[in-house]
Amino acid sequence: MLVLVLALPVVCGLVSGIVPWRRATGWLGTAAASGVFVSGIVIAVHVVHGRPLGGLDGILRADALSAFMVVVIGVIAVLATWQGVRYLEAEMAAGRCTRRHASLYGVLVQGFLATMLLAVLAANLGVLWVAVEATTIVTTFLVGHRRTRSSLEASWKYLVICSVGIAMAFLGTVLVYLAALHGGGHGPHPLDWTSLVAQSRHLDPGVMRLAFALVVLGYGTKVGLAPMHSWLPDAHSQAPAPVSALMSGVLLTVAFYAILRFKVIADGALGAAFPRTLLVMVSLLSLAVAASLLLTQRDYKRMLAYHSIEHMGLIALGAAAGSPLAIAAVLLHILGHGLAKGVLFLASGEILLVEGTSEIEHVPALLSRRPVLGGIFAFGLVALLGFPPFSLFVSELNMLRAEFQVGLGWAAVAALACMAVIFGAVMSHGRHMLLGPKGTAAPAMTPALVAVPLIGGLVLCAFIGISVWPLGSLLHAAAKIVAP
Amino acid sequence: MSASDYSSALGLAAAVVLLCAVVTLWRRSLGSIVRVLAVQGLALACVAMVIGIDQHDAGLMVVAVLVLAAKAIVVPTLITRVVRHDPASRETQPLVNVPASLVAAGALTFLAFAATRSVTLLVPTTAGRLIPLGLAAMLVGFFALVTRRKAVSQIVGILLVDNGVALVAFLATAGVPLIVELGASLDVMLAVVVLQVLATQLRARHGSLDLDQLTELHD
Amino acid sequence: MSTVFHLTGVAVASGVQVVAIAAGGPVLVGAMRKVRCRLEGRIGPPILQPLRDIRKLFRKERIRPDQSTWIFPLAPVVLVATVAVAAAITPLVTTEPALGSSSDLFALVYLLLVGSTLLALAGMDAGTAFGGMGSSRAVTIGALAEPALLVTILALSFTAHSSNLPAIVRATLADPGSLATPQRLFALGALLIVIVAESGRLPVDNPATHLELTMIHEAMILEYAGPDLALVTVGEAMRLTLLLGIFVNLVVPWGMSTSTNVVGIAVGLVALAAKVAAVGVALAIFEVCSAKVRLFRLPELLAGAFVLALLGVVSGLVVR
Repeated sequence: MLVLVLALPVVCGLVSGIVPWRRATGWLGTAAASGVFVSGIVIAVHVVHGRPLGGLDGILRADALSAFMVVVIGVIAVLATWQGVRYLEAEMAAGRCTRRHASLYGVLVQGFLATMLLAVLAANLGVLWVAVEATTIVTTFLVGHRRTRSSLEASWKYLVICSVGIAMAFLGTVLVYLAALHGGGHGPHPLDWTSLVAQSRHLDPGVMRLAFALVVLGYGTKVGLAPMHSWLPDAHSQAPAPVSALMSGVLLTVAFYAILRFKVIADGALGAAFPRTLLVMVSLLSLAVAASLLLTQRDYKRMLAYHSIEHMGLIALGAAAGSPLAIAAVLLHILGHGLAKGVLFLASGEILLVEGTSEIEHVPALLSRRPVLGGIFAFGLVALLGFPPFSLFVSELNMLRAEFQVGLGWAAVAALACMAVIFGAVMSHGRHMLLGPKGTAAPAMTPALVAVPLIGGLVLCAFIGISVWPLGSLLHAAAKIVAP
Repeated sequence: MSASDYSSALGLAAAVVLLCAVVTLWRRSLGSIVRVLAVQGLALACVAMVIGIDQHDAGLMVVAVLVLAAKAIVVPTLITRVVRHDPASRETQPLVNVPASLVAAGALTFLAFAATRSVTLLVPTTAGRLIPLGLAAMLVGFFALVTRRKAVSQIVGILLVDNGVALVAFLATAGVPLIVELGASLDVMLAVVVLQVLATQLRARHGSLDLDQLTELHD
Repeated sequence: MSTVFHLTGVAVASGVQVVAIAAGGPVLVGAMRKVRCRLEGRIGPPILQPLRDIRKLFRKERIRPDQSTWIFPLAPVVLVATVAVAAAITPLVTTEPALGSSSDLFALVYLLLVGSTLLALAGMDAGTAFGGMGSSRAVTIGALAEPALLVTILALSFTAHSSNLPAIVRATLADPGSLATPQRLFALGALLIVIVAESGRLPVDNPATHLELTMIHEAMILEYAGPDLALVTVGEAMRLTLLLGIFVNLVVPWGMSTSTNVVGIAVGLVALAAKVAAVGVALAIFEVCSAKVRLFRLPELLAGAFVLALLGVVSGLVVR
């Protein structure tokens, strides 16, 4: 079962590589993503009652947390690959992209999905690291896909900063391995997550402190937490829109999933205090950076990227709280943010396509000139800012509640202050983009093929916000893994 | 291998790794920096080989040969190819001047010792006592990455960080499980290949690898 | 009785060391010059030429600048005297020189520093522009080399747990394996760079330069003439030989006599001559192949020596 989940994107990628690109291969990618989504649901149903699935001789393992992440990856991948077809056709029509580049894009995107799935399904911290490193390499090529001057600069910066982060995470993993070897009572695979959790009380606290700090800094680079966030605005704004949606919606949270796995071990070895302090510091710094830099943004894609930093900061703060309610809220936030941010990036990609510029000042009055697209963008912003009925309202509220319960009230208040500043900044930028004088041209229509998945994504986000029904037990099971 | 031979050989190789990291801060010519990097790869392979011989672990010796091939031969050759096309193959003024960088390297070494006290207490063997050298090499590489302008110097910084981490991995655990080690080496090589491709594209677009000219994206 | 024999033997050994350094210094300088010339394709002056030059200088008239004070004639004398004392108490021919227990590396460094400081003051005492310039440059180099030198001594003292030079040499003789340790290698590397800097050889300073603006050491002694110049030349040659002798005995201590009988002293003398000649020739070959480092790049070189010594200390704490 698990091997099937991985095999789907791999096979599809191979096909995209061998066959020269045509629309059918693009839709094949979407089909693979839908397959991933469906199998994610199947796995979730299977594991929600407590028994994790194994695969590939112990290298793969799916418990409730992994299953949830597979579902998240699947649903956003469907949206992104659907839009990817349109993106590639437009690029080829404009002459900026050859068929070979397009099939390379297809291969890379499927490879991206496969490596992310490997990361969330890994049973072993070492395999997790290899998968995250592989995502870095694949996405470097994807970020530089357009081969313009600024996208090359962005992919360079991305590769350099994330390589260093990954090296730090590797050192953290090595130190955990060292602690496990000397902690006594380890099994044949010392880096296996389940046995590490069982052994966590016997792990040397000094070594674990250093290891956890390195892991937070290292994987935190890929999450986009300050102070290692400087690659994020460049990479997410220069990458093609579907890639930005995938990176911002999913890759950041897959890296955070890695931190969560380490946090469980660290909580066992060090108690909750040290991991909590570290995560609070990093999250407040991220929120402050995002708040201060969002005020002066002139490019809407960069604005969305900085907004991702804010949400990652919020997620880190929720994880710092650590209670089951907090973790459940964090996971719900991961899904909601992924959906909303994905839709927004895809919509902004469409805006870039039809308007030709990514500056906020040069795309005024979207609601009047392109009603459907403007409406999607508006509702997406509304969702991201945490308005009901979208699920981000529920998840943010619960995260704040959990933080107050646990004694992190002061941090929650600081976070609220930053969120207020960000709220104002985003509303102001959004107003510039959406409202304005109507002009003389008639309102342009967006093709249904483009609008339908985006509207679908937003509807799903709202649906989850109103009733958590399909996900309730899965969230509880996953939260119990991280916060027993 | 007798105990004192083992400890002096291991100590020498580990110290050479750190020395090479510091020398890259000292030298200005990119060609000589790449040569120093090759020496560092050789020293790293020696560390793995010495530990492998001492523990009669054939797997580790194979890994040592792979490390030698990858880090001492392939990677420097790839980078030399990039450097050769660049006419101005000297590091332009780094952000921190050379004597200050060297003093900072000394300070980072002490920081590494302070940070890894708990690790050396946990592993009181000869190899365990040398772990701070690996972390110091990594910190020096990080410093080199942050204070250099040329793209090739940044590649060198990444490789220094990787070598430092690899040294710690070899010393701490006589190598992590083989699959992870292979994955790590493969990823390092892929990263360098990617860097080379990007560097070629950058050069084709921009005509030079001076990162001072890549400042369009900022806030 | 045996104490008297012992003391006599020690005194004789130290005396032999002083004479060897005093006579052998100019010969070493001549030999290094000959090697350089041969490698450059010239025949060059004979090896004993510096001795003849010194004899010639002693016969010349004593000339001093009008504005100079008592420092001017004092400096060369103090230079030679301090180097002679240092030569007497360091282990060059024998591992038990006179006053061996006071032969601390820190003390030696500062003893040699007295001579250099007075020479720098005398350079300024002459009242000329070039003298002041040379003095300030020489003192700058000294100031940059001092930290490296001190940390090097710390790194060297790890084997014997003491900075007493004869003790270090004896410990190295007893345990040859300690030469292969990283702390010893780093310390010796740093020491070599510092010796080159302190004795004013390439790539720090060109002793054969005629261009005043590139002079460091030569500019300091530009105003000296006659016997004063002879004493300065002798003193500088002795200093170079002494430093190389110390370096060589830290790297290859074999051949030194561990007792104080005549045969031992003779063997030690021959061994010292051979080792110092070898290092001198190697240094000369290196000088032919290297260019002078620009003045404002000197801090980089000496900072590198400092970090090398620091790495030696760090390895000493770690590798046991």
